[in-house]
Amino acid sequence: MDLELSEEQAELRDNFRSVLEDCCPPALVRGVYEDGDEGDALWRQQVELGWPSLAVPEAAGGLGYGFVEAALLAEELGRAAAPATLLATATQLTPALVEAKADEDLARVAAGEIRGSLAFGESGRWALDAIRTTATQDGDGWKLAGKKEGVLAGSTADLFAVVAVDAVSGYPGLFSVPRAAARIEPRPGLDPALLLADVTFDAAPARVLIAPGADAAPRLARVTETATVALALHMVGACRLIFETTLAYAKIRKQYDRVIGSFQALKHRFAEMYLAVERATALCYFAAVSIAEDDEERGEVAHLAKAAAGDCQRLLAEDGLQLHGGLGFTWEQDLHFWLKRAKAGEVLCGSSAWHRTLLAERLGLASEETGR
Amino acid sequence: MRLRFDDATLAFRDEFLAWLGDNRPSAEEMEADPAVSSAHAPEWARRWARRMFDAGWLVPGWPPELGGRNAGAVETLVYLEALTEAGVPRTTNPQGLGIIAPSILDFGRPDQVEQYAMPLLRGETTACLGMSEPDAGSDLANLKTAAVRDGDEWVLNGQKVWTSGAAYADFCFLFCRTDPNARKHRGISIVLVPMDTPGLEVRPLKEIVHPETPDLAEVFLDDARVPAENLVGEENDGWRMANGSLAHERSMVWLDSVLAIERSMGQLLDLSRSWLPDLTGAERSLAADDVVKLYIETKALRALGYRGFARFVKGGDAPEQALMKAYASETSRDLARVAAEWNGSDALATTSGRSGRHRGVGLIEAYFNTFGGTISAGSSEIQRNIIAERVLGLPRE
Repeated sequence: MDLELSEEQAELRDNFRSVLEDCCPPALVRGVYEDGDEGDALWRQQVELGWPSLAVPEAAGGLGYGFVEAALLAEELGRAAAPATLLATATQLTPALVEAKADEDLARVAAGEIRGSLAFGESGRWALDAIRTTATQDGDGWKLAGKKEGVLAGSTADLFAVVAVDAVSGYPGLFSVPRAAARIEPRPGLDPALLLADVTFDAAPARVLIAPGADAAPRLARVTETATVALALHMVGACRLIFETTLAYAKIRKQYDRVIGSFQALKHRFAEMYLAVERATALCYFAAVSIAEDDEERGEVAHLAKAAAGDCQRLLAEDGLQLHGGLGFTWEQDLHFWLKRAKAGEVLCGSSAWHRTLLAERLGLASEETGR
Repeated sequence: MRLRFDDATLAFRDEFLAWLGDNRPSAEEMEADPAVSSAHAPEWARRWARRMFDAGWLVPGWPPELGGRNAGAVETLVYLEALTEAGVPRTTNPQGLGIIAPSILDFGRPDQVEQYAMPLLRGETTACLGMSEPDAGSDLANLKTAAVRDGDEWVLNGQKVWTSGAAYADFCFLFCRTDPNARKHRGISIVLVPMDTPGLEVRPLKEIVHPETPDLAEVFLDDARVPAENLVGEENDGWRMANGSLAHERSMVWLDSVLAIERSMGQLLDLSRSWLPDLTGAERSLAADDVVKLYIETKALRALGYRGFARFVKGGDAPEQALMKAYASETSRDLARVAAEWNGSDALATTSGRSGRHRGVGLIEAYFNTFGGTISAGSSEIQRNIIAERVLGLPRE
């Protein structure tokens, strides 16, 4: 197993990073927080760079990169605490369309004509058994009824890939619904740049992407695993920025006539933070390459990645804020953009505790009383 | 990034597995005469070392005359994995094979290589590492054991402690002070000391687990004399060589720990599946979560180890080994603790020789034993200092 980036991958990552430092500085994020800007200008720049086409297959007019490259983009977007439109389009909508072989929609994504997201979780849970949204066959098409909460970049989405259950058979399937057919209520909340929205479907006309049936669940799992790992790495990207910022501060901040980073009590905490970031990065890369190679363990490794990203955000948000002292507590410091991105990631795509319970089931450790 | 090794590496692995199947010591002979110390080599271990040496499987990365086959780093990695999976120890004298022989090859004269390193490699002798002293543990450079030149001999006086395998070793790779006036890192040298040297006395230190078969010992030197030619490398250059010695195999040491942890994790999973059904709802969920958390650590360790290793293969420095050392040894400890605490009264069992109600698998004993990993070879606290200062660039205190 080789979990180090190839030269080409490292170059790509460096390119994402330097471009984002230019076109998505903290001032842009602040604009989203303070002025309700939704990052449209950034999206247009990203389209010019061809980033939405990165993970779209060549046959559909994309660049045809694998998931490792898309995951690296997610990581760098986290490092920039960027408005979430591209994250959702590249790691949620695109994988859903790829799984469904929806080449026409993919071509529009690649061309930067549409943005979108995956509408999956309901009632705060990222699980198939939480889905109450129904799909009813209506002539050649389908009609969807239900409500999806906290859809990533739901505020800016042109197209939703919606998981709903067949009203007759009860089997889940995947459907596409255009923005105009849905009711969108923005829910800016803690991290407005995530552009979260509640999306309601009221007999919304939909096209089928993956037909409801017994074989749909494993295909849907592939889509949700991909979204989960991308978000995990996105959190790790935010955490690494918190780590670097806090470390740099500890090297210049003086108290008692010495830099605070020279105190052993802090050194050991930095060693712990470094381990947490490296540990989560390693498991996320392991998960990314498992998905890219379509390994049979990909489901398990996705749980590992999100659980580790959860451990990482817990420590980095806590120590990152604590070690900045009063500065980290202020609105004017940019640090809170990353603190909030890291913490918000924990409750999206399933919490670390929830992913651990699924691991317990996979390992044959779950109890009958709580098992599903 | 890729999940699997390439075909050439897999072919290398197959070649080794075929040889291993024909030549390995059997589980029965290993169990009948177990190694009881880290410098104890039972007959089977001596034969096994010789067989690996002759076939070029002892240190695959070395040339054939040193028991290798000029293999690359990735090949060495799959070789180590294959050995562990087969349940065969590479050596019963890890300090001898991993640190002392390579150091003599690096820094010794040809006659020292012939007299000391080659017999170690061929399994004819074993050696111990004389480093720690009562006042030189984490602060190793504070060591006081003195070597004073008297004609063509060194006269040795002082005390070593925590010397693994001293009671069984044939010679000691001894760190001693040859210039008491130099700054503490500057006056240290290395001398080869046969354990039967008059004036050298070994007193085994009973450990809290298995006091009847101690591995650790104190070594007292009271006017012990060795020939001047037993000096390794340059006089007063010992500290630099020590860093070289400990760097040996550093790119691979993590793998041994990770493989051992994976084996323990497998056992904990099997064990858990047998006792979890006896627990009720909430308690069972808590226990399962403890096990799952360790499962995540186990997977993370391997992923992290592979990342550092890939960097090493590409020629990069790997100071992250300090991270792996602390993380792996602490995970071993946590695994043993969780196994012990969720096993109720069975945990009180002992495998020690003393009789009693609780003979069996000693889970709390096993937990105590893991502290060998978090204390020795640079404690976890020292590893954290190394990470903070050498990897993260924080200023020294």
